[in-house]
Amino acid sequence: MRTRKLLTVLALIPALAWTLFPLLWILTASFKTELSLYAKPPQWIFSPILENYRRVLFNIPFFEYLTNSLLIATGTTLGSLVLGTLAAYGFSRTRFWGSEALRFLILVTRMVPRMTLVVPYYLMMLKIGMLDTYSGLIIAYVSFAMPFSIWLLIGFFDDVPLEVEEAALVDGCTPVGTLVRVVIPIAAPGLAVAAIFAFLVSWNEFLFALILSGVHSKTLPVVIAGLTTDLGPLYGEMSAAAVMVMLPNVLMTLVLQRYVVKGLTLGAVKG
Amino acid sequence: MREIRAVHRKSPAGILVVAGTMALLVALALGLAPGAWAQGKTLNLSMLAGFKEDVLRANLPDFEKKTGIKVAVDAAPLGELYKKQLLALSTGARYDVLFMDEPWIPALSEFLSPLDERVKGVDMQDFVPTTVAAGAFQGKQYALPVDPNVQILIYRKDLFAQKGLKPPATWEELLKIGKAMHDPAKQQYGFVLTASNDLQTINYMLLAMWSYGAEIVDSQMRGALNSEAGKKGGEVFLELVSLAPPAVKTYTFADVNKAIQLGQAVMGVQWASGAKPLEDKSRSEVAGKLGYAVAPKGTRVSPMRGVWTIAIAKSSPNQDAAWEFAKWLSSREFGMASTRYPSAISAIHSPRVSVLSDPGTQQALPYAPVLLDSLRVAKERPRLKEYADIQDSLRIIAGKLTAGELKLDAALREMDAATNKMLGK
Amino acid sequence: MGSVQSRRWFLVPGVIFLLVIDMVPLVYSLWVSFYQWWLVRPRDIRFLGLGNYLSLAADPAFRRSILVTCTLTFGAVLAEFLAGLALALLFAQPFRFLRPLRAVIMMPLFVVPVVGATMWRLILHPEMGVLNYYLGLIGLGNPQWLADPTMAMCALILVDAWRTIPFMFLVMLAGLETLPAELFEAARVDGASWLQAFRFITLPLLTYIMLVAVLIRGMDVFREFDIVFVLTGGGPGTATETMQMLNYRVFGLGHMGQANAIGVVTLILVALMCYLLIRVVQRSR
Repeated sequence: MRTRKLLTVLALIPALAWTLFPLLWILTASFKTELSLYAKPPQWIFSPILENYRRVLFNIPFFEYLTNSLLIATGTTLGSLVLGTLAAYGFSRTRFWGSEALRFLILVTRMVPRMTLVVPYYLMMLKIGMLDTYSGLIIAYVSFAMPFSIWLLIGFFDDVPLEVEEAALVDGCTPVGTLVRVVIPIAAPGLAVAAIFAFLVSWNEFLFALILSGVHSKTLPVVIAGLTTDLGPLYGEMSAAAVMVMLPNVLMTLVLQRYVVKGLTLGAVKG
Repeated sequence: MREIRAVHRKSPAGILVVAGTMALLVALALGLAPGAWAQGKTLNLSMLAGFKEDVLRANLPDFEKKTGIKVAVDAAPLGELYKKQLLALSTGARYDVLFMDEPWIPALSEFLSPLDERVKGVDMQDFVPTTVAAGAFQGKQYALPVDPNVQILIYRKDLFAQKGLKPPATWEELLKIGKAMHDPAKQQYGFVLTASNDLQTINYMLLAMWSYGAEIVDSQMRGALNSEAGKKGGEVFLELVSLAPPAVKTYTFADVNKAIQLGQAVMGVQWASGAKPLEDKSRSEVAGKLGYAVAPKGTRVSPMRGVWTIAIAKSSPNQDAAWEFAKWLSSREFGMASTRYPSAISAIHSPRVSVLSDPGTQQALPYAPVLLDSLRVAKERPRLKEYADIQDSLRIIAGKLTAGELKLDAALREMDAATNKMLGK
Repeated sequence: MGSVQSRRWFLVPGVIFLLVIDMVPLVYSLWVSFYQWWLVRPRDIRFLGLGNYLSLAADPAFRRSILVTCTLTFGAVLAEFLAGLALALLFAQPFRFLRPLRAVIMMPLFVVPVVGATMWRLILHPEMGVLNYYLGLIGLGNPQWLADPTMAMCALILVDAWRTIPFMFLVMLAGLETLPAELFEAARVDGASWLQAFRFITLPLLTYIMLVAVLIRGMDVFREFDIVFVLTGGGPGTATETMQMLNYRVFGLGHMGQANAIGVVTLILVALMCYLLIRVVQRSR
């Protein structure tokens, strides 16, 4: 066992270095001036400046964009959880002619390149008057996140034995009640996974946010992309923005990471 | 295995559904706030994100105070701005005023309000004439100039002084100096430009080709780069590439700046808009050691002109307010403020002679005199609706040339073929 | 039994939502792809039938982009699969210190793709980048990362791998954790080495998961855009111009018909891969 532990630790070193190096680079870059970014040998110990963070937080309406991103991401997560759970439960508990094909179809429509979808969406939103609104983006993102959520949650719901549900029904529970009170608690890990992925989809998305948003609903990725200016990328500000944008995701993962692995465990076997 | 919780009889139907729906409704309600589009005195501006946006935002309160008109700024990054404006204008959406790069004007002109009548009430004498031309297409004026830009020559005046050299006036002189000072072992390169498939590469190549008299299209609208002049320019361009740092094949606009800032380049050509950061001590090791000059000539001086303009959308319901804004953005007051914007990196130049020749401006922007002189002789790109497409094809062919996929003759032939194809010849 | 049938209605809200939001734009895109529609000339719209598709088939740039996309997909998925599997095997061991480190391994997934690619571009810069500095220290030379066509493709695979190995890692770790411990016990009792256990127990039982991971990832890399755009812009020359880069170029110039045609072709190719996934999955059950 000792040797195995040692070997494991040895193997971990390159893996962690590989993962962490660019992240640490981004972190240190956020505290450096641009000139010291190019210094050779690269400086890992230096006197940090807060200028980059200051510029990001105050030169642009950062908090406004942060709020937009948060609201849109939360809306996306809720929307895709609700609709996805209902749909996945339905798929899991019924088989009818064409249900397999329907599952396939849902997955396939997600596989269209975003660029191809953006103009029709744009025109649709223009006609309904939902350009530059939260709802326009939420609707789009829910449609991105749902197929994967449905696919994942079907696996989880399949794992919930029918006897448990039938017992609940015998006790007088309605079908919806069974879903809420019995099935969901057992499949909670899967919902956690679906929530994380939905949040990530919405939080990181750029193209639709760029085209569909305007003055009122601009999100963080658009702002960050704007830091690649006509004068080239502003590495300092971009790193500072990236660090701040990463924080919600990191926090969420630290909290939910137990569920994630457990969740995938249960869902993956059935697929 | 979880234990089955006690279930009530007749549990309320779909707590989940209700909660979820309510959440969705809240989000939708938040989202359906009416846009600023239809509300009288607010203008929707499509703006370039980044530095220019900073300068604008800093000065916007002045405009709002003076006129009572509010301006909502929708900024997009450089690579996406054209696309967004094209999409919005062609579908009839959303913008009153647009900050527009001059090569887009021919393509977007049919969505813009002609300003000829309005311009009669404005003193146009103070503008550098070529900057006004930048906003025109087929005899009509569609935009006012705001932020003129032109390719200028930048050189290390400290190194030049050491050797008693003057800035080169012709490409021959430049190549001679460049070769003499080219010392890769000491990481000192004679010249810097871009040689990737970035847009700037073709701009550099055009700079060289134009200076020998070549044109992208001739008077019959056929591709004309494959000529004696074009070939000479192309050869000069390739020589310049050989005098650049080895990674020049990946260089973009920003890398040119970096090479100068890190003291690796003795000379370079860059857009004037990129010059300010070269003088910023926190970014540049050569701040204060740089000299500026008009771009060298072959048989003529013809640096490329690029003017950012302000245009009014035909579909805007706020034509008068939009005109007020356009006037303000190209005014002397704004020009004075924008050129002096206290930042190490950003400035919006002014197209007005009075502003550029003002001593205060020249202190804030050391290259201002050269900018003014260059603007007077700057050359414009062909005013065609198809220019964006032509430019894109040329860009790719230039990239293939520098990557070694094509020889110069073949490249020039392909460029003309691409131009002809786009123009339907 | 009657209640199970009624579950069918749970499908309705989700499916209707998706059908409206997804199918309508899809059908619209397909319809536009049969026209010539240039945004710059909004009144000059012509029906072309299969015209756009025919000109795409005749276009060497498009055919090349398919090749480039397939190369990138194959290379990236292979790299991510192997690395993900190795990491999963590493982390499947019952050491307590491994648990918190899982979150660390997952972190690259949380970096906004555009930002990650921009920073990597800086790191990979042949002269000003950090990577070549360290490579030089250990004597591995000075690879021209983004200037050489082959190295540029490697750089793309590298950056994509950095970003998404965590995904493969998670999926396969999950699979490994579901393997019954008794099988391994029995194997050990019978005197099998770790390698034999791996070959005869782990691999066969993990086949389904591995295939799912590979194909899902393949479909995503095929449509990858952000990283290629930031890192190489399709260069040097057109060496790394994928289908999505081409799509972006054409779309950015306002040629809606052609752009949509590229999108539809992409969809068809991805749908084929998806179909393969379904078939293989069904067979391995």
